[in-house]
Amino acid sequence: MIKLNVDDLHLSYGSNAILKGVSMQLSRGEVVSLLGPSGSGKTTLLRAVAGLEQPHRGSIRIDGQNVFDGATKLEVPAERRNLGLVFQSYALWPHKTVFENVAYGLILRKTGKEAIAEKVMSALKNLGLGQLAERYPHQLSGGQQQRVAIARALVYNPPVILLDEPLSNLDAKMREEARAWLRELILKLQLSALVVTHDQNEAMAMSDRILLLSEGRIEQQGTPQEMYGNPRTLFCADFMGNNNRIEGRVAERRDGAALLAGEGWQLWGRACGDNAGASGTGMIRLERVRLADGPGENRLRLPLVTSMYLGDRWEYLFHEGELRFRAYGHEPIIAGEHWIEMPRDDLWIF
Amino acid sequence: MSSVAATVPAAAGGFPGRQWSRGMVISLTALAVLAPILLILYQSLLDAPFFDQAAKPGFGAYRFIFDDPDFWSAAKNSCFIAVGMALIAVPLGAALAFLMVRTDLPGQRWLEPLLLIPVFVSPMVLSFGYVVAAGPVGFYSVWFSDLFGGVPWNVYSLTSIAVIAGLTHVPHVYLYASAALKNLGSDVEEAARMSGASPLRVALDVSLPMVMPALLYSAVLVFFLGFEIFGLALVLGDPEGHLVLATYLYKLTNKLGTPSYHLMAAVAVCIIAVTVPLVMLQRHLMKNAAKYVSVKGKAGRQRPLPLGAWRWLAAALIAGWLVVTVLVPLSGIALRSVVNYWGEGVSLVDVLTLDHFRTVFGQPALMRGIWNTVLIGTIGGGLAVICYTAIGLATHRQPDGWSRFVDYLVLVPRAVPGLLAGLAFLWVFLFIPFLSPLRSTIFAVWLAYTVVWLAYGLRLVSSSLLQVGAELEEAARSAGASRARTSRDVTLPLIRHGLLASWLLVFMIFEREYSTAVYLLNPGTEVIGSLLVSLWATGGADMVAALSVINVVLVAVGLGVALRFGVKLHD
Repeated sequence: MIKLNVDDLHLSYGSNAILKGVSMQLSRGEVVSLLGPSGSGKTTLLRAVAGLEQPHRGSIRIDGQNVFDGATKLEVPAERRNLGLVFQSYALWPHKTVFENVAYGLILRKTGKEAIAEKVMSALKNLGLGQLAERYPHQLSGGQQQRVAIARALVYNPPVILLDEPLSNLDAKMREEARAWLRELILKLQLSALVVTHDQNEAMAMSDRILLLSEGRIEQQGTPQEMYGNPRTLFCADFMGNNNRIEGRVAERRDGAALLAGEGWQLWGRACGDNAGASGTGMIRLERVRLADGPGENRLRLPLVTSMYLGDRWEYLFHEGELRFRAYGHEPIIAGEHWIEMPRDDLWIF
Repeated sequence: MSSVAATVPAAAGGFPGRQWSRGMVISLTALAVLAPILLILYQSLLDAPFFDQAAKPGFGAYRFIFDDPDFWSAAKNSCFIAVGMALIAVPLGAALAFLMVRTDLPGQRWLEPLLLIPVFVSPMVLSFGYVVAAGPVGFYSVWFSDLFGGVPWNVYSLTSIAVIAGLTHVPHVYLYASAALKNLGSDVEEAARMSGASPLRVALDVSLPMVMPALLYSAVLVFFLGFEIFGLALVLGDPEGHLVLATYLYKLTNKLGTPSYHLMAAVAVCIIAVTVPLVMLQRHLMKNAAKYVSVKGKAGRQRPLPLGAWRWLAAALIAGWLVVTVLVPLSGIALRSVVNYWGEGVSLVDVLTLDHFRTVFGQPALMRGIWNTVLIGTIGGGLAVICYTAIGLATHRQPDGWSRFVDYLVLVPRAVPGLLAGLAFLWVFLFIPFLSPLRSTIFAVWLAYTVVWLAYGLRLVSSSLLQVGAELEEAARSAGASRARTSRDVTLPLIRHGLLASWLLVFMIFEREYSTAVYLLNPGTEVIGSLLVSLWATGGADMVAALSVINVVLVAVGLGVALRFGVKLHD
């Protein structure tokens, strides 16, 4: 069942087009991430769904009801869209206690006093905030504030919950714990959620589906595995992971493979995208580059510049002329020249 | 989580209602602002007062005043005073700001509120203070000539008026310059120090250019206030016959004997023709200044510049300025209010008396004036803040054509000096039949005050409003609250302290105001400010002194409360 349907949405600030025709769907119980660099329009899309920004074309349907339609000039104000929104800054009302913050949506919905108390307390308990009901926001830690913001958005059972960079205000270590916790909560409560993030790891860990936005358009969408393992565009390949990038000319194309060549080297890879030109860009994830013991297909001999210790592994940097590769390994390697291999299937040539 | 009704009751919306009330607020504001000014314009294009059946459209009024040499001399004097004020106030204000914000000047904490006193004391009171303290037979003049056999100053000369006006407007410059200096990140100065610049070079090469937009802005502001000067020129300019535009307008009635509204309107239009471009210029400069400040680095901890031995000289200079602009006039007026008469050879102890206060308390009209002044400051100030808040909310975070309209609308009363605004409101009350009963009620004065201080009040309120994070309101909207409900449940509770502070500041401004009420003075609408002007005209120096002291006390009470509760007197 489709909970949220966005169709061909256009939005601009003055003459500056922010969204240039975005379409997406969100099914019941599904978590979709809006991922993209800053300025790609992901937060704007979320805010347009919430009713806080005004698109000028396209339509938005929530839970089967039209809330925006550019053609008929229909625009349901934010407060009637019945959505839950978790802000990046949490936006807890400083003059209300935790209880009052969470209860506000229920008060507006004319819920009875006892029902409010019951629902708020159960929401708080669900999020592990049972003892904090009478506190004010400034008396809470960052992580607790985030949970209150989530409780506030969930308590009236909105069909869709929107989260704007929900983890970015937490410090790096807490973020990973919160990520797991949030994913668990979403599964437990069967939420349909739309999450904005700029961190591809966060997007992959939390969501069922990722929408990658770039300059107001959807670049590619799919499951995290598809997005990471089978990117259709150079932008997507580049954005989703840590990569080595090789510029060269395409010497040959055959059976879905391409030969990228440069000054004294050539590498076979998978032909990706619709590039048919003479020059190409090779892209390979850092973790796919292998150290090899001797010459062979798709192998290069390069001098080691430095090894960096990262705790759980080593990162090596090879550099000669126009070729510059980074790779991971488990032990320190000695200075000098080494053979490295770019497996044919893991090198994408755009 | 069970199924809380997934529908929000339509009643919680009220979206059309909100737009309706917004339209209402904006149209009432437009009416209150534009009606008076349009009436002035209309009246200036008639050749007789508008109530005269024989009034015909024409440029006769302009022709008359342009043929009058007094008008040109008044215009020249106004220019002289405005330029002189800017030349005195800007350098002193900038230096004062630098000393207060950036150096280890002793006594900064208690100095700060003292610096602002001239802003909150009525110019009428100050100028009267100069007359009784430093006039030909003023207290200090008499004591000084007893010692030295003569006084080197003459407070009635045009230069003295410009100097006094300049000195009393130093705080206006100080406010903007110190705000700019505080906003200026210390990192840009530290960077200059690291490159090898001495503290003085840093001040001249980095700090000064970076606060230049603020200084330019305040220079235009002071110049503009120079054109508005009324009380100072009325009291100090009178003995030697120096007229400025505002006093020329005020004296027009006496000149012809008959109500010469068309002439007054023509003068008013001339004044507005000067002030409107200045206000537009200020607005333009303000935007530029804001652009400049946005490049600030980290504001915050700055090590004050050590002044060394110079600190005592600097402190002495500031003390000297305070003595001249605050202590001399205020002590003069306080003394004058408790002596029967004063002159050469009079011994102070022989003439001490409390009779003046007894007389004031015995006269119903004066008592009513005091009572009205208190009311207009407290209740009237509160109501004004409510109006300003309504207007502020009507434009809050709704960047559309209506908000821009209000933005320009509030510039209008800023460009109209209080005296003219009062006159315009008098005409509104005369012109519109069903309003005329209100003319002799304090409501007339309140309305005029509220409109005259619209820009000031709105700035107080909107600076509070802007401190409420947008997402706090958006959170309420997406939880299901309408705009009106969001204002009530989130915005207003969050700005309540700001609103109380605004009330206090508006109270002080309303206590101090005088020129707006001059033309609205009627039995029933007396306030201390307008009484001072009318009593001064009839030579009641005793009453003027006593009322002035009462006025200063009222303002001081407000100031005391403000300081007690830590209200910021400026932004």
